[in-house]
Amino acid sequence: MRRQSILVRSFAAAALLVAAACSDGTRSTGPEPTPVLRSAQAPDLGTLARTVPGFGGLFIDNGVPTVYLTDVTKRGAAERALGGFAQSRGVAPGDIRVLQGRYAYGDLDRWTQAVSYEAFDQGGVVFVDLDEAANRVLVGVERGASHANIRGLAARLGVPAEALVVRETDPIVYAATLQDQVRPVVAGVQIHFGNFLCSIGFNAVSGGQNSFVTASHCTNKQGGVEGTQYFQSLSSQANSFIGTEVADPAYKRNLAPGCPKGKLCRFSDASRAAYAAGVPFTLGGIAQTSGPNNGSLTITGTFSITSEGNAVVGDVANKVGRTTGWTQGVVTNTCVNTGVSGTRIVQLCQTFVSAGVGGGDSGSDVFGQTGGSSVRLLGILWGGNQAGTQFVYSPITNVEQELGALTTF
Amino acid sequence: MSSRSSALSRRSDRIVLFTWSGAALCGAALLSPGTVTDSVRVSVVVAESARSGEAVLVTLRLTNTSDRRVTLYLTGRAITFDIVVAGSDGQVVWRRLDRVTTQQIVHVKALAPGETLEFQDRWRVAAPPGNYTVTGVIPTDREPLRTAPAHLRIAPPP
Repeated sequence: MRRQSILVRSFAAAALLVAAACSDGTRSTGPEPTPVLRSAQAPDLGTLARTVPGFGGLFIDNGVPTVYLTDVTKRGAAERALGGFAQSRGVAPGDIRVLQGRYAYGDLDRWTQAVSYEAFDQGGVVFVDLDEAANRVLVGVERGASHANIRGLAARLGVPAEALVVRETDPIVYAATLQDQVRPVVAGVQIHFGNFLCSIGFNAVSGGQNSFVTASHCTNKQGGVEGTQYFQSLSSQANSFIGTEVADPAYKRNLAPGCPKGKLCRFSDASRAAYAAGVPFTLGGIAQTSGPNNGSLTITGTFSITSEGNAVVGDVANKVGRTTGWTQGVVTNTCVNTGVSGTRIVQLCQTFVSAGVGGGDSGSDVFGQTGGSSVRLLGILWGGNQAGTQFVYSPITNVEQELGALTTF
Repeated sequence: MSSRSSALSRRSDRIVLFTWSGAALCGAALLSPGTVTDSVRVSVVVAESARSGEAVLVTLRLTNTSDRRVTLYLTGRAITFDIVVAGSDGQVVWRRLDRVTTQQIVHVKALAPGETLEFQDRWRVAAPPGNYTVTGVIPTDREPLRTAPAHLRIAPPP
C-alpha cells in the first residue's frame, strides 16, 4: 500500500537530505558528507550518553569524528569512548573534535520523542529529528506551514525555545515512477489489460460518469466495447483494478470521404473506461517528471489541464507516457490520414509530432504548456515510427467527436 | 499506406509459435550466431544467396534459452519486428518498418523454457548484385533485441 499515495510525510532522518535552507532559530552546522562508507560500526548514541558525561551528539565533519559536550573538560571520557571508532576512520583519539554543547543528548532525545508524538497532528509537519550535528531538536515543515504552532507545542511540552529549530522543507515524496501504482490516478501512468501495457490519456467525466480515456487499441479489441478491465499499474498488485471500458466506437468502411477504399477508419484512436467505485483520481491531472526529453520516469509533480485546443504546425507539443516519460517536440504535420502498420485501419486527420515515443506510450496524454504547470490538452497518443523519434496523436476534437463531450478539467 | 506496406502488414500477423528443435528451416538456410542475453537468444535465418528480383525469406527466432519462464515486454498488438538489409558499405537498402506508423503498445509475452517465437517476412530483392547483411530487430519497451547480421550474396538475374 506504500505506493498508493504519491505524497507522504515521514519521520525520517533522510529528510535532511532534501531540507531547504530556509530556517529560523539556531542554524544547523550540518555535517560534511563522508565520501565513502566505512565498515566500522558507528557507536550507539544511547550508550555514549550514559558513558560520556554531558554528551550531546556525534557526527562526522570532513572525516573527523566530532562530539558535543556540555562540559568540554570531559574530553578524556569522549576520547576513551570513541577512540576505537576514530582510529577505524584514520583519526587519532586526540584529534577527535569537541564542540561546546548546550543540551545533553538524553534531554534532546526525550524532547524529540515528545514533540514527534504530537507534532504530526499539526498540518504540514514533514519530519522530527534529533539533530546530532546541531545539538538541537529539528522539525521540518512544509512551506507555508505554521512555525508558531510547532513552537507553541514545544513550549507546552517543556522544550526550551532555544533547543528547537523549525525548518521549511519539501514534502517527502516516494520515488514513484510512471510504471508504479499511483493514487490518485493521473494521466501518463501505466495501465494493464490482458497481455498488454499502455498509458492513461486523461481523466474525464462523461454524463456524470467518472472515467479515463486511453487509446482504442488499448482495449481487448480495437473498435467496439468488450468491457475491457483495466489495472493500474499491474493486475498482480493488490487493489489495482481501476475501471472498465464503456465507449469505443467501431471502425467503419466509408466513414468519411477521406477513408481509403477497403480500409476501416475512425477519426480517433480513443476509448473511454469508467472508473470503478472508490478509485481516487485527479481530474485534469497529468503526471510530471523532472524534465522533457531526459528519459526520467520518476514522478516529481503534476501538470494541470486548464484548457483544450488544437495544435498547428510549428507548435510545441508534449506527452507523458509510461515508457519514454515526458517528451517534447514540434508539430510537423496536421490532419494526416495515417495507415496503421499491421492492420487495415486508417486513422483520419491525425497530428504528427517530432518527439520521442516508445512501446507502451499508447494512450498517453498530449498537451501544450501554457505557463507554470498549466497545460492545454491536445489529444491522445497512439502511434509512432520505428526509430521512436516521431509520435502520432488523435486531436482532442476528434476524440470528443467520437466519444462525446468530455469534462477534462 | 502503400500496397507494399499493406502486404507486409498482412504478413506481419502471421506469427508462428513453436518449440525450438535446433533444425534449420532448409538446407540452404544460414543461421546467424544470434544475440545472446541472460535468458533469450535472437537470431536471423536467411538464404546464403539470391538473385535480384527474387523474394528472399527472412526468419527471426526468439528463443528462451534458460530453464525458467521468461517474460518479455515486446511491442505491438501483433508483435512488431524489423528487418534491416545493408550493403557491404553499411548503407541500408531495405528496412521492413521504414516509414510506417506502429501502435505504441507493450505486448507482454511469456516464453516457457526452450520455447521459440518465429517471425517471417520476405524481401523482394531490389538491390545491385553484391554482398549484404541481414539483421533482425525486435523492439521492446527498452532496448531492442538485435540479431547478429547474417550474410546474403545477391547474384545478377539469370
